[in-house]
Amino acid sequence: MAPVNLSHRRTHNLLLISKLLSLRDTASPLTLLLDSLEQPATPLFQEYIRRAKLSKVHVTLIAFETLRKPDGCDAFVSTRRKSPVDIIKEVAAAYQPSTIAGPSKRRLIIIDAINPLLNSRNVDPNFHLPSFLGAFIAPSNPAAPKSDASLVVAYHQDLPGILPLNPYLPSSFSILTYLATSIITLHSFSHILAQKAARNRSLVAPVFGLEEEQDGVLLGRLDKLSGTGAAEGIVLELEHRRKSGRGVLEWYLLPPASRYSANQVKEIVTLLDDNILYNPPIENDENGEEEPQSTFELGLTDRQRRDREGVVLPYFDAQKGDGPGEGGRILYDMGEEDDFDEEEDEI
Amino acid sequence: MPSQPPLPPLIAPYVSSQPESSLTLITSILGATSNWLVLRFLHPALSTSINPNVSLGLDEQQNDAKKKVVLVSFLRGWEFWRAEAKRLGLDLARLADKKQFAFVDGLSELFSAPQIANAASPSPSNSAIPPRTSLPLRGPPGPVPGRGPAPAPATALPTSVNGNATRNQTDLGISKKLRFTGRGTAALDALEKDIVAVIDQLKGSNDSSEEVLLIIDQPDFLLAATGPRSGIGATEMSEWITGLQQAAHATVMTIAADSPLIHNAPAAGNQGATPVEGEHAAFAIGSAHRARSVMQLRTLETGAARDVSGVLRISRGGGLSAGVDTLDERELLYYIQRDGGVKVFGRGES
Repeated sequence: MAPVNLSHRRTHNLLLISKLLSLRDTASPLTLLLDSLEQPATPLFQEYIRRAKLSKVHVTLIAFETLRKPDGCDAFVSTRRKSPVDIIKEVAAAYQPSTIAGPSKRRLIIIDAINPLLNSRNVDPNFHLPSFLGAFIAPSNPAAPKSDASLVVAYHQDLPGILPLNPYLPSSFSILTYLATSIITLHSFSHILAQKAARNRSLVAPVFGLEEEQDGVLLGRLDKLSGTGAAEGIVLELEHRRKSGRGVLEWYLLPPASRYSANQVKEIVTLLDDNILYNPPIENDENGEEEPQSTFELGLTDRQRRDREGVVLPYFDAQKGDGPGEGGRILYDMGEEDDFDEEEDEI
Repeated sequence: MPSQPPLPPLIAPYVSSQPESSLTLITSILGATSNWLVLRFLHPALSTSINPNVSLGLDEQQNDAKKKVVLVSFLRGWEFWRAEAKRLGLDLARLADKKQFAFVDGLSELFSAPQIANAASPSPSNSAIPPRTSLPLRGPPGPVPGRGPAPAPATALPTSVNGNATRNQTDLGISKKLRFTGRGTAALDALEKDIVAVIDQLKGSNDSSEEVLLIIDQPDFLLAATGPRSGIGATEMSEWITGLQQAAHATVMTIAADSPLIHNAPAAGNQGATPVEGEHAAFAIGSAHRARSVMQLRTLETGAARDVSGVLRISRGGGLSAGVDTLDERELLYYIQRDGGVKVFGRGES
């Protein structure tokens, strides 16, 4: 990657992820988080909630998996034994924007896992995923005051889905990826490093957890590095679709929550390419000839170098062969800095 | 070999305390079963004897007296658990009398004909639960003989028919026998109500601070025996587990994770997978996503060894909230001796 390109990405893409995670300007109404057992989305949810708290955004968690309301959530909607319509109603009721004409408060709605809903056997056959998700972002009731809502949905990639009843319909996962304005795929940093190390040696990249297909192994993650602080963090693979239709692809690194304080406003996400573990700095060979260090000035200035090149050495003169005794004389042109001494410098 | 302490010190921190409303998932395969680990969860919760190996922290001793356990078993009967616990020095029947322990039998009468239902309600505790109207059984008649090595079906079924005297002897200590009736979520709700009733009974009314640990042994059997045709899939099972979790302080669940049950799931293009394979994989992996910790049991990759029974890998599950709660991931070897004692050690140690 050219360095110019990298600095360009550093400026623009870091701004983009900052905007996405902090829910500024409703840059992405529907963000899809693709996680797996090897890298669950829980830390990223916590990061979303942390930033939402900093900017006073109302947070609603629609819990398909979570049992208890996490810290920082303003509203917690359990979905057990509830139909999608009920969930929409409850979520709408959980947040009452103030009727006083003021800046409408932004809102973050998190669905901790969409799989149970998609795989449920008891859902109404008329259940329509796009309108279900759309109901959160743009409430159908026109009377309701408009609020900027962002929806963050997690989807477990490693869970097998059920086949659609109608074989001609696309799978729910295809619909989700089609609808999403940003897709963040989560990877474990240590796995990314292991895979890169293997690729650098032209070896087959290692697989972890379920992909090992080993009997009795669900989770391969066993971070021996934990505590050393070496390869902790989450790698975010972002695909963002701009309104113009142009897509942005970028890899980021989110450091573990223990590395920064909960109130830190400064951006903590970095480009993956900027990480020294992922991209170790290349040794520069240009400065390989190290000058020996001493108290004398051993170098030459430009003028001294030019003067030295101008000196005609005696053997050039000797080769002219103007007869015996003539060649090999030392001819010396006086420079202006030379101090002529009759006695010593008599030729 | 010297006899081992009932609770190996290396796994003690993992089995002796679970945070509130957490789920611990134990996965097993055919060659590495989870019974011994379940018993190691029972031991620190129920044992009151001062054991130098258990007393890693002082507060643990205080917790001991308070903890109560409800064991819901779908694959193994009461006799099995009682005999195995005895080897650890736990008298489950006595603990059940003291209302510290309750056993919910999901094995012996789960699919029995409904007419025995009223006659076979074993303990007087059932009076609190309104009698259910049961539908005639529609499921396959086969599952009872094929359930596994437990002796319970052979003993429990005849006794329940024979009469009260013998039955009470065998069933002493069983708080509840589950029976599956109906279909879909309604049937699961009925099971949930039964189990929650047992939990509430154990909690008592006087002190709500008592911690009830709920252990559900192989609920995947219920999924396999019913399946999508009865309107029960992985999502419904997970919801059922969630409901039970809400009633208890912490939950431990065991589940099978053999390759055919996990890796044959219907991915795109893999249309040949059976419903059991798909639903089981979804249930097992989905549970791992919810769990705080996942304890995976498997055999050695290098083959059988004389002094190693298998590998125990303890990993963080998807439900662990980072930052608030920490869990050290480890991989340990274990060896089950002939007397039932278990030795747990790291790789390279002995």
